[in-house]
Amino acid sequence: MGTYILRRLLLAIPVLWGIATVVFFLVFATPGDPADMLMGQHGDDEVKAAIHAKYHLDKPILVQYGYFMGRLAQFDLGRSYAQKRKVTDILLEHAGATVLLAVASVAIAVVLGMGLGCLAAYRQGSWIDGAVMAVSVLGISTPVFWLGLMAILLFCSILRLLPFPDPEYVTPKYLLLPALTLSALLVGYIARMTRSSLLEVIRQDYVRTARAKGLSRPTVFFKHGLRNALIPVVTIIGLNLASLMGGAIATETVFAWPGIGRAMFQAVLERDVPLIEGGVIMLALVFVIANIIVDVSYAFLDPRIRLK
Amino acid sequence: MGKTALIIAVLAAAVVGGIFVFARSGPPRDETLVYRLKTDAPSLDPAHLRDTTASTVAQCIFDGLVEQDPLTLEVVPQLATHWEESDDKTVYTFHLRKGITFHNGREVTAEDFKYSMERVLDPATAANQRWVLEEIKGADTFKGKPGQHVEGIEVLDPYTLRITLERPFAPFLAMLSMEAASPVPREHVEKWGEDIAAHPMGCGPYRFVKWKKDAVILLERFDDYWGDKAGIKYIKFKVVFEESVALSKYLNGDFDILPEMPPNRKQDLLRDYPDEARLWPILGVYYIGFNHTKPPFKGNVKLRQAFNYAVNKKAICDVLLEGIPQPARGVLPPGFEDTFDETLEGYPYDPDKARALLEEAGYPNGDGLPAITLQFNQSEDHARVCTAIQNNLRDIGVNVRLKNLEWAAHLDSMQKHEPLLFRSGWLADVADEDNFLYVLLHTDIEANYGGYSNPEYDTLIERARHSIDPEERRELYRTANRSIVEDAAWLFVYWYRDVILIKPYVEGWTLPLQGDFRMPLHKLRFSRPPA
Repeated sequence: MGTYILRRLLLAIPVLWGIATVVFFLVFATPGDPADMLMGQHGDDEVKAAIHAKYHLDKPILVQYGYFMGRLAQFDLGRSYAQKRKVTDILLEHAGATVLLAVASVAIAVVLGMGLGCLAAYRQGSWIDGAVMAVSVLGISTPVFWLGLMAILLFCSILRLLPFPDPEYVTPKYLLLPALTLSALLVGYIARMTRSSLLEVIRQDYVRTARAKGLSRPTVFFKHGLRNALIPVVTIIGLNLASLMGGAIATETVFAWPGIGRAMFQAVLERDVPLIEGGVIMLALVFVIANIIVDVSYAFLDPRIRLK
Repeated sequence: MGKTALIIAVLAAAVVGGIFVFARSGPPRDETLVYRLKTDAPSLDPAHLRDTTASTVAQCIFDGLVEQDPLTLEVVPQLATHWEESDDKTVYTFHLRKGITFHNGREVTAEDFKYSMERVLDPATAANQRWVLEEIKGADTFKGKPGQHVEGIEVLDPYTLRITLERPFAPFLAMLSMEAASPVPREHVEKWGEDIAAHPMGCGPYRFVKWKKDAVILLERFDDYWGDKAGIKYIKFKVVFEESVALSKYLNGDFDILPEMPPNRKQDLLRDYPDEARLWPILGVYYIGFNHTKPPFKGNVKLRQAFNYAVNKKAICDVLLEGIPQPARGVLPPGFEDTFDETLEGYPYDPDKARALLEEAGYPNGDGLPAITLQFNQSEDHARVCTAIQNNLRDIGVNVRLKNLEWAAHLDSMQKHEPLLFRSGWLADVADEDNFLYVLLHTDIEANYGGYSNPEYDTLIERARHSIDPEERRELYRTANRSIVEDAAWLFVYWYRDVILIKPYVEGWTLPLQGDFRMPLHKLRFSRPPA
């Protein structure tokens, strides 16, 4: 197991290098001079030249790439053009809020999605099944931005059950609404996957055997069936982490949640190149690690799978 | 299942741990003014301030030699008790107040001004606010080398500072009121280096306490402030990007002041909250720029006038923008009382005249015009205004395509003089006519995105900025403004007015001509504690 994880981590290095390279050239190709964004509308050739020199923007692209890779090799993501602070500090400052939001969203999505999926499978063909599938499709297809605004309107303005979003407080009652909103997409996917996976599993011979032994339907369904239906569900969670992060940008904007999504959004608008690059690399690292965790979790869920 | 339970326990611990890390705390609400910011300030280093958000916060932390009255625009003493000017207006001798201290307790002296100004002018700082001080003698040749100083900044004694300019420069005193000319303690800059952007320190009425990025900036009253102490002990600037959420929070009592609000709600708010919603004119102009470097607008004043007459600015202001802005009749907005020209008619909506001018310009019914694209930056309001302009122009036979870009790409394209028509706007960062007529339309200026070039106009505006006779200067600006209108250098759309929401228990506010970001927040007080 340890060797497997180490090998996967080593394999992640070229992946991250590739991502860093693509991001570097993509940002370079984007129209807009970072110096112009820093100067505002008071253009001044001398200041522009000073900014270009300071950040090596006056050098050929390959030289700039060399500086970038050189810094990266020393685990230095550079300094933000706009904020003048170390990118690592900025990202770490925002990471807590985003991790909290992501973990809470995944937790909600797993509980709700699997619960709904089980219910639909257990009552296959009934109105409950239809309703759950309809809710899943709604969750998948509703834009997070709109859903967030509607949730605020309903729970904060009309029902007054929860406080209005406040960037200062990263506490459970402020977390609940953004986490629920962000989890909507994943709830939909997990519910649908759990249902179809369960329906496939309960037709297996060992389930029939368990029933023949005299075990009750709920016991067979949830104890024997559910665990064996989990692998596709875990895969879905791993695959959708990227969508979750995409949704986090919109969710953090609507709910004034001070996470990495907000910071990245602002960095893109301001052409804050080091922060864009650093943010993408950090998110890529999260995906790589998440995927390793998903792969490792297969072995826990199904002992027949051995990691080599 | 033991391992699964372990994983769940670790995740739960992470969530609970995170919650405790960010547990609720802060100053008492009844001593705290809560002010909404739409976006976070990128930097609070006075050398690198570049937007109104940062200025809103920075003006509480930094004081300068002088300040500009937010209503009359008169330059009045701040850290200087008084000053003398040479007859040719090139030498200013400032006498500083004694006993002023930075927030770290050290006294502010003339050396601090010299250090801070040289820091802004040092190419190594790459300060975007360098333009504020670049008329000082020796600024151009100053390279920040060890032992090198700016010739025009002299410390005569600890409380006397002499600034010499290359030549008379009329807006100079007004520019000194900007944060870029404020003193910062050298030891603090040396301690933090570039990180001073997130650890600002000045000698203003509030001191910086903490900053949680993209969330909240907390300031506390500076009790050793040289002037009247701030009326409210704490100010919290909270970042809420989404307009509708911010408005809901204001109505819920979470904000005391809300400077920006959702489109299409302003008139409702003015009607429903007459004691809280305020409408006032600010020094700003919104325009569509013509590209003067390429046909068909290059050298074709008739065509530019035709476009101006074709657009119904009043309908744009009254219908699309809820009657908040005023149709523009020139560059200089009405806030400039001394130079505003009431008699200037501008280009009232007259499609018949527009068609006639179009024919005189050589394009009867728009025939022969090349494909014209009107480029604007992403915003609901800009899209609506540009669509209305497109429709108005279609009525006289001109087909215009719209192109929507995000701001950085739009700015880049304008600087390269690519679009034939482009949306732009300007809010004064220095309340002086020069900040419009020179900064936006002089041939040599980068923000002259249309590439307008008129040697006679340039001469007028250069004379005005270097004139030492205030009356002559005013007359020159009136003439320059009129010449820009006659030459139809822009398609003038509107002059800004703004709406702000202020809770009734907040007293002592003023509505500055430059906009809410110049509201002196230290003069506010609560008539009763916020609920």
